[in-house]
Amino acid sequence: MRWLSRSYLALVYLLLYVPILVLVVFSFNDSRTGYNWGGFSLRWYESLFSNHAMVQAMWNSLWLALTAATVSTIIGALTALALHRYRFRGKKVLNGMLFVVMMSPEIVLAISLLGLFMLVGLKLGYVSLLLAHVTFCLPFVVITVMARLSGFDERLPEAARDLGASEFTVTRTVLIPVIMPALMAGWLLGFTLSMDDVVVSTFVSGPGYEILPLRIYSMVRVGLKPEVNALGSLLLVFSLVMLMLSQWILSRSKQ
Amino acid sequence: MLQSIKQQPFRAAVLMLVWGWLLFLVLAPNMLVVGASVMTRDPSTFISLPLNLDAYRQLFNPLYLDVFLHSLYMAAMTTLVCLLIGYPFAWALSHVGKRRQTLLIFLLIVPFWTNSLVRTYALKLILATNGLLNSALMSLGVIDEPARLLYTEGAVIIGLVYLLLPFMILPLYSVFEDLRQDVLLASHDLGAGRLATFKNVIVPLTLPGVLAGVMLVLLPAMGLFFVPDILGGSRNLLVGNVIKNQFLDARNWPFGAAASIVLTLTMALLIFAHRLSKRHLGEEGA
Amino acid sequence: MKKIALAGLLALGLTGCSSEDSQVLNLYNWSEYMPQEVLTRFQEETGIEVVYTTYDSNEAMYARLKLLDESAAYDLAVPSTYYVSKMRNEGLLMPIDQSKISGFDQLDPELTSLDIDPDNQYSVPFLWGTTGIGVDTADIEGDPVTAWKDLWDERFEGRVNLTNDMREVFHMSLRVLGYPGNSTDPQQIEEAYEKLTELMPSVRTFNSDAPRMPFLEGEADVGMIWNGEAVMGKDSMESLEYVYPEEGVIAWLDSFVIPKNAKNPDAAHQFISFILQPEIAALISEDIGYATPVLPARELLGEDVADDRASYPTRDDMVNAEFQTDIGDDALQVYAKYWEKLKSGR
Repeated sequence: MRWLSRSYLALVYLLLYVPILVLVVFSFNDSRTGYNWGGFSLRWYESLFSNHAMVQAMWNSLWLALTAATVSTIIGALTALALHRYRFRGKKVLNGMLFVVMMSPEIVLAISLLGLFMLVGLKLGYVSLLLAHVTFCLPFVVITVMARLSGFDERLPEAARDLGASEFTVTRTVLIPVIMPALMAGWLLGFTLSMDDVVVSTFVSGPGYEILPLRIYSMVRVGLKPEVNALGSLLLVFSLVMLMLSQWILSRSKQ
Repeated sequence: MLQSIKQQPFRAAVLMLVWGWLLFLVLAPNMLVVGASVMTRDPSTFISLPLNLDAYRQLFNPLYLDVFLHSLYMAAMTTLVCLLIGYPFAWALSHVGKRRQTLLIFLLIVPFWTNSLVRTYALKLILATNGLLNSALMSLGVIDEPARLLYTEGAVIIGLVYLLLPFMILPLYSVFEDLRQDVLLASHDLGAGRLATFKNVIVPLTLPGVLAGVMLVLLPAMGLFFVPDILGGSRNLLVGNVIKNQFLDARNWPFGAAASIVLTLTMALLIFAHRLSKRHLGEEGA
Repeated sequence: MKKIALAGLLALGLTGCSSEDSQVLNLYNWSEYMPQEVLTRFQEETGIEVVYTTYDSNEAMYARLKLLDESAAYDLAVPSTYYVSKMRNEGLLMPIDQSKISGFDQLDPELTSLDIDPDNQYSVPFLWGTTGIGVDTADIEGDPVTAWKDLWDERFEGRVNLTNDMREVFHMSLRVLGYPGNSTDPQQIEEAYEKLTELMPSVRTFNSDAPRMPFLEGEADVGMIWNGEAVMGKDSMESLEYVYPEEGVIAWLDSFVIPKNAKNPDAAHQFISFILQPEIAALISEDIGYATPVLPARELLGEDVADDRASYPTRDDMVNAEFQTDIGDDALQVYAKYWEKLKSGR
């Protein structure tokens, strides 16, 4: 029974990773057609980096994901703290709106934001993308931080306040350290969601600021482009490095 | 209010930021969609008065009903396959040692960092007529002629399952984690066989997880318009394709908005069912 | 808090740092419709960087331009035939200053001052071409394919490619039924739809990004293709032939237009003039396989291109050929309805 369940796990992981493995292996494939092995080569990495628009789109995407994750972590953490600590009118409404964002189909979010941006005349580009990405990352950060806060001893901030600390000081010195791991997790989640998004970005991006999904979309549909393999592999490596870095920081801060 | 701002400027600032963000970027856009859905299609300004429910009526036009049903069918197939793979998977996962569990969960998320488009493209490499799967099967002698896999309904479903499986596994995993061993032992002690324990104890207790998983897979599965575009050869459309076409190609905004709202309401219905089942179970447990 | 505010400012402040320093021309064009070499040479000569964004249907291009209106920064777009008149009538275009364009007088008089834009106040012809039948002769057995109606042949089940273009697909079906390709009669459109449903089991894919690709990938062996794509495809697959169907090809003329909110119309004019140079026009025609309206460029073409019937059809090939026209919004809605139904899978 045990080996059966283990081998089942292994099988599903294999299926999940085969496409990614194919991607990485074929990114070193010399063959043009992309279907058969033509020897080891770095030519797709070369052609990727000589494609100015592609590199630009890659940086744009990374920059967008970094900033969107950061902004949504900040706002999300503040929201979670507010929901956890303060009593105010409309708390349920606020909760409900976050829930709506998390649960509404991506495509609906995309068109509703497009409608809004058009109405207020916001130029589609980095700002519109950032606003959209922060919005769909927000509820996930809030939930992560809330989960952390729910197991937290309420008497600690009370004590700090009794000792004369201001609200801001309490937040900075008592609460932030407590929720730090959740902030990291939320940030990572935001980064992941932003990098992976296709649907929302398709709608709210403009010609001035092109990001990866749109570039890839037109490339993939025009035909087989081995550069896409190289690109996917690079993204994977980059994310793994980021993750290990965050793990390292986390383990250090624990010590 | 003014006094409270003076007393607690930080608190006031936080609340204002949060409320501002949500009102402007969540409530307002959603209202816009609702508004657009009851307006009239206009070829030059997209939407115009008078207000009416034509867009909703159009949804029930047999032509579009067909599109929706087919999309629903593919999403349902996707959900079913995810459930069939995910349920035993989550169970097996919850029986692995704690340390390894963290690693395995983490491995579920890693694929997301290569953009989902790139992964869909990788699937194309595998499924194509002269792709890897066909060459592998042919060199093994399983088939003589390449099977037509790409640009079929099956390919679309495979793509959706591949992209959405982790969303089924994660909530299932969390309910299996909570499933206490002593409950199963008790059931066993009371003389229930494996099958009876599964049917009467495990299934009801994991039902909320199943529903959560269904929620996280079914609705997104109807919206991922790029999957039929790449793997389905622009056939086997999803509701997402229809909505996207209405907004970006056919320019029938009221109809696109109405379709979005129906999609959201379906979601709400599922959430409601989920809550209900949870409450129901909570009462039984008490 | 200071740090947070700083981070926020930084995030918002860095918005404009992408590529504002050098001059940029935002070209909104069909996928694979401009050789990279031309863009590079243009940049070398003028210092203007071309940002090339693509679309796969006139509808998508039109909707995006219309939708983004103020916020769109496209300086140049390439609508087909009747979309020029449509966009012109709706005030989406900026007049073209012919004094800033050199080489206009060298254009084929048969392709200028058409009904879609008398006197070419708003458009300059870029390329023209046809939609006909692509056939992978290596994989086709039996009688040669000569007409649209042959696509319905049972032997092609699961091997047909159609363009992902509503009007073209219906145009084809209407012609098979003997109706005009630009029909606005709901009855005829419905019949065309019915006829297409019989074709659907044979249809493998809809592709308007690069209709040659399903042929090259081995997924499709016969079907709709643009002549330029067939020429391009032949480079890597010798057996790919372009056939002028008996019922008549679908003809189109793609023209440069400047959207009314273009940020850099001067660069757009410069780019048009650059393209109209015979040498550049010939290079484009040879590279992507469509026919150029620049007459002196035809002298510069290699013989294999100039004599290639796929790129430059004879008069006989163009018998029954039909240009697409604006059919009006009501008819368009009828088409759209059946189109989605058709593609939903059954």
